[in-house]
Amino acid sequence: MKFETVIGIEVHCELKTKSKMFSSAPVSFGKKPNTQVHAIDLAMPGTLPSVNQKAVEMAIRVCHALHMDIQDLLSFDRKNYFYADLPKGYQITQHYHPIGSHGYIEIDVNQENMRIDIERLHLEEDTAKLTHLSDESLIDYNRAGIPLIEIVSKPQIKNSLQACAYLEALRYLFIYTDVSDAVMAQGSMRCDINISLKPETSQQYGVKVEIKNLNSLSNVQKAIDYEIQRQTALLLDGKPILQQTRRFDEKTQTTVAMRNKETTADYRYYPEPNILPIKLDSKWIQQIKDKLPLLPKQRKDIYINQYQLSYNDARILIDHKELSDFYNQTVQICPHYQLVCHWLIGDVLSYLNKSHQSIHAILHVEDFAKLMHFVADKTLSTKQAKQVLELMMTKHKDPVSVIEEYHFQQINDDHILMKVIDEILDYQPDLIKEYSQGKTKIVGFLVGQVMQKTNGQANPQKTNQLLMKELEKRKQ
Amino acid sequence: MKVYSIESLHDAFQSGKVEPKDYYQQIYKEAQFQQKRLNAFAYTTFGKAEKDLKNADFQNILSGIPYVLKDNLCTQNIYTTASSRMLEDYIPTYNAHVVDLLERQGCCLIGKSSMDELGMGFTNMTALTGPVYNPWDVSRIAGGSSGGSAALVASGLIPFALGSDTGDSIRRPAGYCGVVGMKPTWGRVSRYGLIPYASSLDTIGALTRNVRDMAIVMKNISGHDHRDMTSSFQSVPRYFHHLSLDISHLKIAFFKNIYDSLTDLQMKKIFDDMVVLLKQQGAKVDEIDFPERYLKSLVPVYNIIANGESTSNHACLDGIKYGMREDEKSIEDIVIQSRSRGFTKSTQQRFILGMLVLKEENQEKMFRKSQKVRRLIVEELNHIFQHYDLIISLNSDSIAPHIQDAMKKSSSLVDAQLLLANLAGLPSLTLPCGFVDDMPVAINLTGRLFEEQTVLNCAYALENVLPFKNQYVRGDHFEI
Repeated sequence: MKFETVIGIEVHCELKTKSKMFSSAPVSFGKKPNTQVHAIDLAMPGTLPSVNQKAVEMAIRVCHALHMDIQDLLSFDRKNYFYADLPKGYQITQHYHPIGSHGYIEIDVNQENMRIDIERLHLEEDTAKLTHLSDESLIDYNRAGIPLIEIVSKPQIKNSLQACAYLEALRYLFIYTDVSDAVMAQGSMRCDINISLKPETSQQYGVKVEIKNLNSLSNVQKAIDYEIQRQTALLLDGKPILQQTRRFDEKTQTTVAMRNKETTADYRYYPEPNILPIKLDSKWIQQIKDKLPLLPKQRKDIYINQYQLSYNDARILIDHKELSDFYNQTVQICPHYQLVCHWLIGDVLSYLNKSHQSIHAILHVEDFAKLMHFVADKTLSTKQAKQVLELMMTKHKDPVSVIEEYHFQQINDDHILMKVIDEILDYQPDLIKEYSQGKTKIVGFLVGQVMQKTNGQANPQKTNQLLMKELEKRKQ
Repeated sequence: MKVYSIESLHDAFQSGKVEPKDYYQQIYKEAQFQQKRLNAFAYTTFGKAEKDLKNADFQNILSGIPYVLKDNLCTQNIYTTASSRMLEDYIPTYNAHVVDLLERQGCCLIGKSSMDELGMGFTNMTALTGPVYNPWDVSRIAGGSSGGSAALVASGLIPFALGSDTGDSIRRPAGYCGVVGMKPTWGRVSRYGLIPYASSLDTIGALTRNVRDMAIVMKNISGHDHRDMTSSFQSVPRYFHHLSLDISHLKIAFFKNIYDSLTDLQMKKIFDDMVVLLKQQGAKVDEIDFPERYLKSLVPVYNIIANGESTSNHACLDGIKYGMREDEKSIEDIVIQSRSRGFTKSTQQRFILGMLVLKEENQEKMFRKSQKVRRLIVEELNHIFQHYDLIISLNSDSIAPHIQDAMKKSSSLVDAQLLLANLAGLPSLTLPCGFVDDMPVAINLTGRLFEEQTVLNCAYALENVLPFKNQYVRGDHFEI
């Protein structure tokens, strides 16, 4: 019997607002425990939540990027449960009316487009961080109250490859809409996978298993692949699949059961009485949409269809938002699309990777565009341009002053070049003899000598032409 | 000790007739006497009052005026327990918004007053510090949950106190103790720093001995606060300056079914007299019907909503972050044991009720249904307020019960109608209007949303023709 895998994914993403979802405590990472905390985050009695407008704006940005319907009456609900990481004894979330619903995202699976529908996007707050030691538990409230968005996909994902492509696409979306750094390893983007198997011919979904603790894409892939294997084996053996929450275990590279879920928890959701529904201005919602930057999918289409970049080149640019932004600005001034791309994903990117710097810190768009012009019109040879670029990036200078300072301009002037050629040939009559005997290889050697004499500034093609002409002349 | 209203004390300070320092010494002494008699303080804060007094310039009306806060209003660096063992040692790092406002005016806090645990109750019998006794007869209850505030104002010790009102918690003790008590429109006064009972019903209000003082205090604690998203942006009128004795344009309604439910003839007579007095001043007073089914649903609807909200409002009290903690092996056991020992049985019963009404299988037919009925009641009231400016009723169908009978008293229709103002968020004021068996009786006036001024004006006119303005009972003959 053949089985079909059905996967739905819940993604949580921490928003990089300045302050928390409902308090004025700062959102910052890597700080000493319990120093980024307001009385509201500790649920001190009598404190009340105030909605962070910036977080709402960021959520709307993502909603727009996911083509969602936006609920213009913003409302929040309480999700009630007791746990040490939940200071209020309830989490403020959007259970009944999520800010976004009915969206989709286009993902790229092995260079093929696929559309995944998204059920909902809602705003909520993060919990505190618990650390269990052997005989005590520690609580860090710095994380408590950080704004989160949760995105729930429709169960349309069929394998680990698609799941990873979906998560990757969402991650880029968060980065491009500038709402989060979305680093899975650091927990600013997290995901839970719901997975079930059903016979290919069946209309009915199988028993759902939830997998948690997935902190990298490769673990997502391994966990799903393992789980498909595990469930298939169980089904073929005629054994039941338990409704469970499992976690991915790094050591064994398998999923292990955390708890059985015979009954779903009752969170006693009800509308948050301390936040009355807020009517969002439709103009504001539209403004947020208008200010949205070009998204990965849009960029890819432009790069490949309009700028004629290869799929791989386009991917590399898009994988680095800064680089892609820089590229877009550069080609506005210097529309040599492929040339600019090759330089950016070549020399520039490798320098950035080596030096761990941001592109804006080492290059100006105008300067880089100028350099690209010099390359395009052959003012500089490729070799020279590489040297100029390196000096621009290390010394933070514009190309014109680098060229002047380090004498990088290409010599195209026939008279100057001829002077150098004459000088060389005058002193080496043997070479002319060799040439006349048919040893044309000599030409390359001579071009090299000219380059050496001119510190590499001589235009090699031109030098070549002039040398040939002169050698022919002297041959007779 | 001479007893003053806010206005008269302000004049006495300004004119130099009363030396503030001396006066405060008398207050401290008197407070100790009243504490022995009434048990109305949770704590006294004389040291703080001393410091605040030094900064008072006596220029504005509240500068240098002594007052008391119900112990569910957070005070920075001062115990705030909400009368719960759970918060016995809790010292907030912040002031409630209303406290900030009064401190800015130069008011001097002399203590935190006793209340029912977390504001849940109408007897003040469940207070952590024990029952509060009625100043008019210490064998009777002061009422709750703002019982300490009401008793202290009635004793003449202070001209005003703040309380909170979720169902009737300012107005019931005000009525039992013979003082003026008012809850404003929900959203008029910021709730930031009020340890909640039920968020959608909670209001902070005041207790005074006359209506002019009430107008002063209400104006000074009202207005938008960015820390409370439910606080209104509506501008607050200068109530005091707009006080008027002319009520000839007012149309007033009372509910026939509530009136008919009165069995005590003396009480009935007092209400009849009030109607006559209002009519004599030109107001139009009509007897109207309020659907019986709504009246009968008031108490269950209130209990379901209030306890449903309270069960999650108080889920933060888990013994982990602050407050009482029972040391146990697991986090789960810490929470269970701390909550089991930190709350009284009656509070735990309310939490259990709240849990039940929010449970998924019950929520629709209990919590949601109650909210729907609440909406219907609000619509009915809106309809009435299209034709009338005020609704009046007796504050209670009886005088303050004896302590031993307090817990037995079941809620009458008259008592229940005080809930209307909370369910609909309306401003509502209780005014002393008579005596039965030497115990005070009060009338309640409820107005339209944000029309505190109308309520105050009608009370002002009524107070003017009644002999109870500024009444207090020191209890000189009380033997310690």
